[in-house]
Amino acid sequence: MPPEFWTIMFPAITATFLASIVEVVEAFTIVLAVGTTRGWKPAIAGTAAALGLLGLVVLILGPTLQYIPIRYLQLFVGVLLLIFGMGWLRKAVLRSAGVLPMHDETAAFTKETAGLQSQSGAPNTLQWIAGIAAFKAVLLEGLEVVFIVIAIGAGKGLLWEASLGALAACLLVLGVGAVIHKPLARVPENTLKFGVGVMLSSFGVFWAGEGLGVEWPGADLMLIVLSAVFLLVGMLLVRIASSKFRKVAA
Amino acid sequence: MNIIGDVLKELGKMFVADLRLTLATLFSVVLVAAIMQQGWVDAAIAGLLLTLLCIAVLAEAILREVKKRKHR
Repeated sequence: MPPEFWTIMFPAITATFLASIVEVVEAFTIVLAVGTTRGWKPAIAGTAAALGLLGLVVLILGPTLQYIPIRYLQLFVGVLLLIFGMGWLRKAVLRSAGVLPMHDETAAFTKETAGLQSQSGAPNTLQWIAGIAAFKAVLLEGLEVVFIVIAIGAGKGLLWEASLGALAACLLVLGVGAVIHKPLARVPENTLKFGVGVMLSSFGVFWAGEGLGVEWPGADLMLIVLSAVFLLVGMLLVRIASSKFRKVAA
Repeated sequence: MNIIGDVLKELGKMFVADLRLTLATLFSVVLVAAIMQQGWVDAAIAGLLLTLLCIAVLAEAILREVKKRKHR
């Protein structure tokens, strides 16, 4: 196995896989609400159309980015990953500390189902609206996955590997969802979000640094050190935020 | 349903959910770039500086949100 497998390829695929699980679980909740309320035809049609569109975006945008000089690309992608990754980490820390409420898939399912049931009209119109709801849910949740796949893929030429990580997550969630037929409320979404936030922030600092001309000691191995640093900082911030918040609530 | 509007809103949310975090991150990168350009620190120290600045930005964003929420 090439040495960069553990330092670059493995974290890249893991990040896209885990990030995709978080997003696909949220999209699946809406698709499930559509399927159980208005039938599986609009749910599957909407999902397939959105996945096709997202795949097209990756296919067009991914290879196009390879024409940008690698240093500028790494700086651009690194800064975007840093902003995005730290955004996820911030939210996951605040949720773990009890400052923000956890995302509740069962509540999201109930709300979406009630929204669909409250609509009235001809059966064809209702099916069409339901199909669009599934399309929109998959498209909006998939946008973040597409960004992560393209950003991570472009930074080190791992577009296919990153796409496969996302596709595997998609198949896994849809497969499990199809079997249990319930919102996947037991998936530890916040823990996954925390982990992905740590990884994306590390990739972001590393690539933004490379783009600026930073010479990282240990080269790619530094990614592991950065991940450990962000993980420890994240865990420490959960403790601090939790105690500060509880002190006020008491 | 305005799908294009929702897509644009989602894209905006992805990068500016916390505007101050976004601006502070951009400022950190620009600051490190300027310091490197001036030759005030060597290339390895610049990496350490960038990492520390990002951690400070993250910590500030989290503690600011805690402060905001506790006054609600």
